[in-house]
Amino acid sequence: MNDVNGAASSNGTAKTASADSIISMRNIWKTYQMGTEELHALQDVSFEVKKNEYVAIIGPSGSGKSTLMNLIGCLDSPTKGEYWINGNQVAEMSDDELAHIRNKEVGFVFQTFNLLSRATALHNVELPLIYAGLRAAERHEKAMASLTAVELGDRVTHRPNELSGGQRQRVAIARALVNHPSILLADEPTGALDSKTSIEIMHLFEKLHAEGNTIILVTHEPDIAERAHRVITIRDGRIESDEKIK
Amino acid sequence: MRFISTAFYENFKMALDTLRGNKLRSFLTIIGVVVGVITVMLISSIISGISVAVSKEVESFGTRSIFLYKMDIGIRTTAPTREERMRKPLTLDDAEAIGGLSTIEVAVPFLDISNNFFGQKINVTGKNGKTSSSVQLNGTLPQMAETTTEVLIDGRWFSAGENEAKTNVIVIGDFVREAYFPFENPIGQTLEIGGQEFRVIGLLQKREQLFGGGGGNNDQSNIVYMPMGAALKLKPNADDLFILAVAREGYLEQAKDQVQDLLRQRRNVKFGDKNNFAMETAASLIDQFQAITGGVFLAMVIISSVGLMIGGIGVMNIMLVSVTERTREIGIRKAIGAKQRDILTQFLIEAATLTGFGGIVGLLIGWGLSFLVQLVFPSYVPLWAPIAGFVASVGIGLIFGLFPAWKAARLDPIESLRYE
Repeated sequence: MNDVNGAASSNGTAKTASADSIISMRNIWKTYQMGTEELHALQDVSFEVKKNEYVAIIGPSGSGKSTLMNLIGCLDSPTKGEYWINGNQVAEMSDDELAHIRNKEVGFVFQTFNLLSRATALHNVELPLIYAGLRAAERHEKAMASLTAVELGDRVTHRPNELSGGQRQRVAIARALVNHPSILLADEPTGALDSKTSIEIMHLFEKLHAEGNTIILVTHEPDIAERAHRVITIRDGRIESDEKIK
Repeated sequence: MRFISTAFYENFKMALDTLRGNKLRSFLTIIGVVVGVITVMLISSIISGISVAVSKEVESFGTRSIFLYKMDIGIRTTAPTREERMRKPLTLDDAEAIGGLSTIEVAVPFLDISNNFFGQKINVTGKNGKTSSSVQLNGTLPQMAETTTEVLIDGRWFSAGENEAKTNVIVIGDFVREAYFPFENPIGQTLEIGGQEFRVIGLLQKREQLFGGGGGNNDQSNIVYMPMGAALKLKPNADDLFILAVAREGYLEQAKDQVQDLLRQRRNVKFGDKNNFAMETAASLIDQFQAITGGVFLAMVIISSVGLMIGGIGVMNIMLVSVTERTREIGIRKAIGAKQRDILTQFLIEAATLTGFGGIVGLLIGWGLSFLVQLVFPSYVPLWAPIAGFVASVGIGLIFGLFPAWKAARLDPIESLRYE
C-alpha cells in the first residue's frame, strides 16, 4: 500500500479504497537539498481528512506547516509518499495535472486575499471558471451565486481597493468556493484582519462548514484553531498531535 | 475549441485592460511598430500610385505601339554611352519601310526640332507677346491622325497636300493653348516659330499628367506638331527622329520581330551583334519601371523591418518587465488552476494585442498620410499593405512576446505567491 512506485503507475486515474476520505496523506516526506545537507521539512506525515471535517493545522513558524499546506493545496509535490485528494493520486503529477486538480478540488483562501487588483469582484470570482473552460453566461451565474452566498451580491462590480478587508476576504472565499472544490484550504485567513472582522470571517467558515464544506485551516493562532473541530499540531516537520476537540 | 475561443476572448479583454492600465508605457512601446507600419503604408501607396500612373501614361500611347529610337528610351539611370551617341539616327525612309510591313498598321516619324541649326532653342512667340523656347517642336506626317497617341478636340490634322507643300500649319497641345491663347479659340490664330508665321489648325486634348496638375515646361501638352517639310525648313539638318509604329490588332509580337529584323538589316547590324537602336512597347516600358520599383520595394521592406524589429525588442523588454511586476498575479492564477499553457497564451495575446494595436494606429496614420500625399502625388493604398502591416505587427508581438510569456508560464506558483 505504501509502495510509491506502484501508486505512481496508476497515478491520477485510479480511485483509492478509502472513499470516505477527501484527503489521504501516507508517509509524506518533503526534503530540501541545502548545499550538502538535507533539510527535512516534513517527515513521514500521515493523516486523513473525511468529508465535511473542519480541521485546523497549527504550528509555530518553521514547523513545516506552510510546506504541508502547499502539498495539501497541490502547489507542490512531496519528495516521498502518497497523497490522494478526492480519489486522485497527486504525488507524482505533472505541473499541468496539478493545475487541473487545484482548479477542481482545492479552494484557496490566503492571508493577503490575493485578488487581482484590476479586476472586479465578479471577475475575480469568475477566474477559476475561466480556467475550467466554462462559458460566459454560466460563469456569470455561478460567480453571482457564490458572491451572494458570502453576502456580497451588491458589491460585484467593485474592485478590491473599493472593498474593506473583510469584504475582500469574502470575495476570496467566494472565489475559492465557486468551483465546488473538495476542500477549502485557508492559510491564516484572519491574519490581515482586525479582531472584529476576524470573528465575522470565522463565523462565515462555520456557516460554510455547516453547509457541508470540508475546511482545512492553517494558522499559528491557537484561538483561531480552537474554532475548528479537529486540530493537527505540527512541530519540526512531524505531526505532534491530532485530536478532535468538538 | 470552445475553451480556446473563450480563453482567447478573456485574454484579449484582459490584455486591453492592461493596455488601458499602462497607457504611456504601452504607447512608448508601440512607437517602433507604428513607425514600421506607417512606412509600409506610405511607401507602398506611393509605389502603387506611381506604378498605376506610369502604366496609364504609357498605355495612353497605345498598347499596340512600338517605340523606336536610336538610343535607349524609358527610364535611364546612366548617361548615354559614346557608342549610343555615335549611332546614326533613324530616318524617314526607315519609317516608311516599317509602315510597309504586313503586321504594321501605321508608322509615324517624329522629328524633334526644338533646337535649331546652331543648337539653340527655337523660340515660339505669340501675339500676346509671350515667348518661350521650351515648347517641344515636332515635325510629323499626316498619318499621325491614324494613331491614338494624341486626341484632337478641335480643328484637324494637316493634310497630305499641306505636308507636300510644307505649309506652315500646326497642331498645338493644351499647354501651348493656355500659354498663348488663354481667352480665345486658337484655331485660325497664328504663332511665330523660329521667325516664321504658323497657323493653328488643330488643338489636342490635355494629357493626364504623371505628377499631379501643373507640369511646368516639361508638361507633355507643351507641344507643337507641324508638317515634316515645314519642320525641315526651320532646321534643315534635323535628324533627331523617333518612330511610332502601331501593330495590327493581335500582331504585336510578330510586328516586333518584323520591325527588328527590318531595322537590323537597314542599319547593317551583323548577325550576333546587339541592336544599335532601341525598341520598346508599352508593356516593356512598364516592365522597366517595375524593375526599378521592385528595388524601392525591397528597400521599403528592409526599412520597415528595422522599425518593426526595434518595436519588437521594445515589446520584449516591456513584457519582461510586466512579467516581473505581475509575478504575484501569475502565482494567483496558477493557484486557482491556470495551466502553463494558459499563462503562456495570456502573455502572448497581451503582446500581440499591444503590437496589433500599434499596427492599427500605424495603419490609420499611414492611411491619413497617404491621403495627404495624394494631393501632390498619384498614390493609393493597395489592399495588401494594411493586411501585411497588421499581420506583421501582430506577428512581431507573438515572436517577441514568446520568451517573456514562456518565462511567465514557467514560474513556480509558490515562489510567485510569495513575491512582493
